[in-house]
Amino acid sequence: MIRLGYTNCAACHVAPQGGGLLNDYGRGIDQAQSLRGGEYEPADDGLFRSISANGRIRQDLRFVMQQQTRWNGQAASTAMRGRVLYRAVAALSSNLRFAGTVTGENESAARPSLSYEPPATPSHVFVNTALLHYRAGNALEIAVGRDQLPAGINIPDLGVFIKSRNRLGYYDAPAQIKAVWAGDRFQVMPFVYGSAGNEIRGERERGAGSLAEFDVLGNHRTVLGATIQHSSAGNGDRRLTGGYARVGFGKWGILAEHDITNRFRGTTSQAFRQDASYAQVFWAARDWLVTSATGERLRVDAPFREHLTAGKVEIATRFTSHATLTLGTRVEHNAATGRIATSLAVQFALKTVD
Amino acid sequence: MGTLAHSVKVGSTLFSGALICFATQLRANTADSALIGVNQGTISFEVATNVPALRVHGKSSALTARARVDSGADGFVLEQIEAAVPVRSLETGLALRDDHMRKYIFTTAEGEIPDVRFSSERAECPKSGSARRATCSVTGALAIRGASRPFVMMLTITEENGSIRASGHGVVKLSTYGIDQPSQLGVRTTDEVKLKLELTARRSSPQGAIGSVAAR
Repeated sequence: MIRLGYTNCAACHVAPQGGGLLNDYGRGIDQAQSLRGGEYEPADDGLFRSISANGRIRQDLRFVMQQQTRWNGQAASTAMRGRVLYRAVAALSSNLRFAGTVTGENESAARPSLSYEPPATPSHVFVNTALLHYRAGNALEIAVGRDQLPAGINIPDLGVFIKSRNRLGYYDAPAQIKAVWAGDRFQVMPFVYGSAGNEIRGERERGAGSLAEFDVLGNHRTVLGATIQHSSAGNGDRRLTGGYARVGFGKWGILAEHDITNRFRGTTSQAFRQDASYAQVFWAARDWLVTSATGERLRVDAPFREHLTAGKVEIATRFTSHATLTLGTRVEHNAATGRIATSLAVQFALKTVD
Repeated sequence: MGTLAHSVKVGSTLFSGALICFATQLRANTADSALIGVNQGTISFEVATNVPALRVHGKSSALTARARVDSGADGFVLEQIEAAVPVRSLETGLALRDDHMRKYIFTTAEGEIPDVRFSSERAECPKSGSARRATCSVTGALAIRGASRPFVMMLTITEENGSIRASGHGVVKLSTYGIDQPSQLGVRTTDEVKLKLELTARRSSPQGAIGSVAAR
């Protein structure tokens, strides 16, 4: 949305961190950016009033079907993953609300299983979000509960290195207290957190961090940000320092992030560094048709040495505010083994809009 | 000095017939006078909303402008300034928003969408610091929905390597034209709209009698 002059997510999403349910204005933009287009008219019939408790509960049901075929040079594998999400936000008072997201799925999508970073335990039914939000003013909101931690460019693909290698996967929803303080040209998101309860023994982290971003040119199209995070668990610590950028130029834009994670593992008594980079150039050929090209890089020092580079091309077509089809292909090169893995993914997402 | 001609190269044209720049007589030994036209200038606008995270930007690259320009040692004198932009060429990046903009801002009661026009009789732009740069305030009339209201624009003119570049900015108040601030699902724009324009004309053939006009 940076291409259209939105510096952050608060204009369209109920949660200022972004993701999840849209407010009325966001639904209008969602529909305007679809092939069908037209004006969004909020529902106001008897059925809507009864299931929404006279408008106090905002909710939707989202169904995502993804088929992914992957070749690694020796063998091919295909996965068909179906996921249903129920998302709801209940207004408890004028400045207090509860937000929840529950996911059910047929096949899990855990983070890579690494000896220095085992994934959180997946579950066929998972509570991604359960947050109590308190709006302390126009510029400040505080939330308590469980959710994914705030992240820089905040893209929905949790498989990219900057996410999957920094505990920002599907099943990472730590208990946390976070705040969003936003002004005309800045946004700061400090947070403290503890275990989500689904980590394996020795990996239950606690920590603190913050995002801080600034609209450097004051034109609402050039946002630069920084992330810091300090975490410790029984098996080791990690310190993340990152920088990110969201830049828009009308029809196209750039999203970029680079994170440096300095890790220490007690099992090896050794510190090592992980670098994860992400850069995406996107182009909205039409409001409803967005193509993107992405480059990624991951480098992990010894004793867990890895060097991966990846490229991805994707095209997303939003037919209506209810239905989106995404096609993408990704090529990943492992410099240590020389192997190249290719994948092709088709994703169809449906959601209810009241 | 004798007669000087200024010609300017053409990029592509949006209108049938490019604007023509004519050779003109010098009025004084130190001044060059030319009728300069531009047919693909850029105009952009920015308007804040009641949501801090959102400002609406729009742009058109179909700005046409013409003026008689006298350039001398002391600066520039602009006369008979006229500029226009077709409303349909203004885009905000979102088609529905463009529709709303045309409907709520630019459409007359009769359902017509006239071009946005600016005109000014004369402006003197003295050189400021640099020998190639002049800055001034241009007072004229800006017509929206066909209704003219007084408008003041700050203009900076730079002449370098045969190119004359003009950049200007000003603020329009919608209320001056009796236009309500647009509102959509709780998001409302402010009354003040910032305008910015960029024009470039290139002198490519100093001796040519007739040239066409370029804009970047």
